[in-house]
Amino acid sequence: MKDYILKDKKLSILSKLIIIGMWILLSKIIDNEVIFPTIKSTFISLIDIVKNSDFLNIIISSLLRSLIGFLISLFLAIITGILSSVSKIIYNLMMPILNFLSSVPTMAIIILALIWLDSEYAPMFIGFIMVFPILYETVLKGILSVNSKIITMAQLYNVGKITVIKDIYIPSILLNLSLVFTSSLGINLKMVIAGEALSQPRFAIGSSLQLQKMYLNTSGVFAWIIIILLISKIFKFIVELIKRNLKINRWK
Amino acid sequence: MKKYQVKDIIKHYNSLKVLEDVSIEFDEYKTTCILGPSGCGKTTLLNIIAGIIDKDSGQITGFKGKDMSFVFQEDRLIEWKNVKDNISFVLKHKMDKSQIETTINRYLKLVNLEEYKYYYPKNLSGGMRQRISILRAFAHPSSILIMDEPFKSLDINSKQIVTEFFKKLMIMQNRTCILVTHEIEEALNLGDKIVILSERPARVKKVIENTFISSKSKADKIIIRRQIENELIGNLSKCNPSVLLQKSHR
Repeated sequence: MKDYILKDKKLSILSKLIIIGMWILLSKIIDNEVIFPTIKSTFISLIDIVKNSDFLNIIISSLLRSLIGFLISLFLAIITGILSSVSKIIYNLMMPILNFLSSVPTMAIIILALIWLDSEYAPMFIGFIMVFPILYETVLKGILSVNSKIITMAQLYNVGKITVIKDIYIPSILLNLSLVFTSSLGINLKMVIAGEALSQPRFAIGSSLQLQKMYLNTSGVFAWIIIILLISKIFKFIVELIKRNLKINRWK
Repeated sequence: MKKYQVKDIIKHYNSLKVLEDVSIEFDEYKTTCILGPSGCGKTTLLNIIAGIIDKDSGQITGFKGKDMSFVFQEDRLIEWKNVKDNISFVLKHKMDKSQIETTINRYLKLVNLEEYKYYYPKNLSGGMRQRISILRAFAHPSSILIMDEPFKSLDINSKQIVTEFFKKLMIMQNRTCILVTHEIEEALNLGDKIVILSERPARVKKVIENTFISSKSKADKIIIRRQIENELIGNLSKCNPSVLLQKSHR
């Protein structure tokens, strides 16, 4: 097992080295900063971006948009998921909404969001429409996948309904959510940034990316990509830390 | 001796008659084994006694308002709870935290399983999981213990260990036990009284006082086994004559 993990780490480092190697190679072959910037120019752009007085404002604004949007999605997914599991009417009402969100092209909904909403809120809504269906289905699955025999056991032993909800249903929902938490948080961040690029709020990673594109500063775009990757990594690390502290998977 | 009783129980599932005038008396602090072929309606009878399903007609005496404990064919442990929390799950509405802790410790000590207190079900063998399920039933304060084929899914070795575990607990913490099984050996080893049910619709074919339990005499065991086999072969012959032929050739 340990050998396997070490091998895994080695492979991960190797793949990163290959990507950097290919970057160096491609930038040398292409030899055009606008089409494919070098590592050096990207690094310089990165320092410029970080040194900018608005940098923290931009990062905090985008993170807030992303987190608020995600929490709204999570809250609504939990409420509607629970209601759908107890009421066939709500389950059937939710079905066409989810089908609509999954079959209508995302870009069409984004355009509508840009028309209807303020530039501050449109990115949040765009993140919401991508992440809400995932979270809703996860919550519903968490409730429906509870073993009915365990519920019968609880009923036979006269265990109170609140205890059943607290000790069986909520852990089952959390367990299922923990499996999609990191990925849905990542998707949400990406969608919020895409929304920002289109709606152009004052302080936003997406707006900054768009600005770099307008100036044909590709190394700036690359630098922002690196910053987004770092934020994703930090998100992942925090989620893992929370999971470990809550000991969600200790029984596995 | 206080009696628990079911009388003239009839149950249909749509047009299918499952139980036909089933009457059984369960002696207090004794184990009554309900023995019958698979699918004859034994579990339906248990569910009626437990109050999960309704009977069509008949009387049930002595069970109403009584606390009951249950052991199922599967252990029904909650995977994300350790042994202590699995037992405490059924005790929460009965006692406060400190009492729960004391009860669990006492029972784990009673059967020398203290070391498993913080184990999760996934780290326990099938036999150990079922032992915890039985311990949970005993730790739950109740006067009646209902067991539905609790040893069915275990391999031979585990079955013997878990059976001994159950017998030990029954001696230490006596309960009125209703045990459903389709295995003659299990009924012989555990039942003070053995009630033999017929094929569906289930009727009580015979009630045997299992003298082997107190006498431990091999002769008693052989005699009672023969009585049971005669009744069950009678059952089987109705549905499959070849089984009867094979049995009588032995």
